[in-house]
Amino acid sequence: MTAQGAIPTLAIRSRGRGRGLFRGLRSVESVIGLIIVAVIFALGLLAPIIAPYSPYAQGSGSFLPPSPDHWFGTDEFGRDLFSRVLYGIRQDVIVGAVAVPIGAILGMLLGLASTLAWWLDTVIQRGFDVSLAFTSLVMGVTVAAIIGPGLPAVLITVAFVNIPLFGRLTRNALRSQQARDYVTAGRVVGVPPIRLLLRHVLPNSIDALVVQAALSLSLAVFIEGAMSFVGIGVKLPEPSLGSLLRTSINFLAQAPTYAIPPMLVVTALVLAFNLVGDGLNKGLLKR
Amino acid sequence: MIRYLLRRIPAALLVLFVASVAVFFLLRLAPGDPAATLAGPDASNETVEAIRQQLGLDRPLVIQYLLWLGGILTGNPGESYLLHSPISELISNSLLNTLELASGALILAVVGGGIVGYIMGSSRTSWISSALGLLTSLAVAVPTYVSGVLFILIFAVVNRLLPSGGIGPGLADPAIGLQYLLMPAIVLSLPTGATLARFLSASIRQTIDEDFVQTGIAKGLRRSRLMRAHVIPNALPPVITVLGIQIGQLLGGAIIVETIFAWPGIGQLLLQSVIGRDYLLTQGLLMLAVVVFVMVQIVTDVVDAAMDPRIRLERK
Repeated sequence: MTAQGAIPTLAIRSRGRGRGLFRGLRSVESVIGLIIVAVIFALGLLAPIIAPYSPYAQGSGSFLPPSPDHWFGTDEFGRDLFSRVLYGIRQDVIVGAVAVPIGAILGMLLGLASTLAWWLDTVIQRGFDVSLAFTSLVMGVTVAAIIGPGLPAVLITVAFVNIPLFGRLTRNALRSQQARDYVTAGRVVGVPPIRLLLRHVLPNSIDALVVQAALSLSLAVFIEGAMSFVGIGVKLPEPSLGSLLRTSINFLAQAPTYAIPPMLVVTALVLAFNLVGDGLNKGLLKR
Repeated sequence: MIRYLLRRIPAALLVLFVASVAVFFLLRLAPGDPAATLAGPDASNETVEAIRQQLGLDRPLVIQYLLWLGGILTGNPGESYLLHSPISELISNSLLNTLELASGALILAVVGGGIVGYIMGSSRTSWISSALGLLTSLAVAVPTYVSGVLFILIFAVVNRLLPSGGIGPGLADPAIGLQYLLMPAIVLSLPTGATLARFLSASIRQTIDEDFVQTGIAKGLRRSRLMRAHVIPNALPPVITVLGIQIGQLLGGAIIVETIFAWPGIGQLLLQSVIGRDYLLTQGLLMLAVVVFVMVQIVTDVVDAAMDPRIRLERK
């Protein structure tokens, strides 16, 4: 009744988990959100193929209005704004794909660590308290002050902001799971603690982390935009949505259409990731 | 009450001390030599060395830290070598501007968020609450750097109703100063006000479901009296805690809003110092941020304690 009995139960449970994740994706919000994100990120990734001009190539006229040649018009140096927006999206793809996972993994490790000993828990939770109290942009300014403005500063800030978010979530999820009967049962039959944690407790805590991942991606887009906007993120002449928007406010009177594409793309990305998060939340957590 | 406050002071001092160490030493990790930056690219080695000595950068780090800390405690955090004036003067000038912006935004957020949250939480017409719910979740999610630019486009470029940026005459001529303040304050208040509204409405709904409110309904209390005397007083405490957190968010948001509207406040000064590598100014401003953060935390805790005897009397 030990080994043979365990196999079917495991299989059933893992199938159940898969169904749960799919149910999260079945809600209307998360599908709409995912489609928006996928389209925008695909445009960014395919920028070298799609973009009609180089994002740095200076053309014939500056501040040209939108036209068939330049869909979004041109900027102050006559560069094609459509191409610059496409390349700008790539910064957010990088930040989302690199910094969020790093922050999430570090946070989860710290969350795991804080379940090991009470004093570790106290120290780590205090650290989380302090870093959560600082707003992401103040954190960004501090990082930029230490290592200098640029994309690396954005990456470090986003990773750093995510550590306490994932850390606290992991810790609380593990805590609540550890009080469950199946964990006690596992401990009673002598499953080693590490195996119990990795094999049984962690998989059951994953839903909340998936929801957080979607919200963290939204936050990552926001932070990249904010840091580049205030001049401590991605450096010009390299395009990013935030720096495009920042430059556009100097020319709003001459070229009112300059600001609109980066505004729409940033907002669409932030809202779409939020939608995915909300949809997953409904599907996965509120059973 | 005073005893509760006194108990908080050692922890606050510890946080301030740790923060001062972190701010000072982390910024010294920064690449680049401030003396060389200040001297300019063509300066000779002797000039750089002279500047280094003048700034005290040739002394051991610990001595530099102690001198800096002493300076801060005596109200003299040094001189900005980017702007060539005393840091205390720079800070007090721009602090007033930021306070003007932040308090304007806070008033708008509390009043607007309060009204919207109350309507959202107590309205029995479902489309009103869901419309407000959609609007507030948009206001929370849309970044201020997007809504700010949108406001300028609508109210300063297309319709020339308000100035697109700058601080104007400020408090010297309130009528015109307010025109300059209006847009930045609204933009800054949007996420804060919307968050408050959402928490207030959730808290009101939760309170309405409580037994004592149901009893009130059952014994035929008028709705207005029920809300004023029973629901609101019990729904407010959690919202006040959120307000404390939101004040921190508001100050972070001020950095963005000051950039959009060319508002000469603390956020602009901080960005200028970071981009210009004026580390003394950056250190001073970051310490200021920590002090404000610690103070807001203490005030929030004290207000919580004033409203809830359980917290006030808790002993460890």
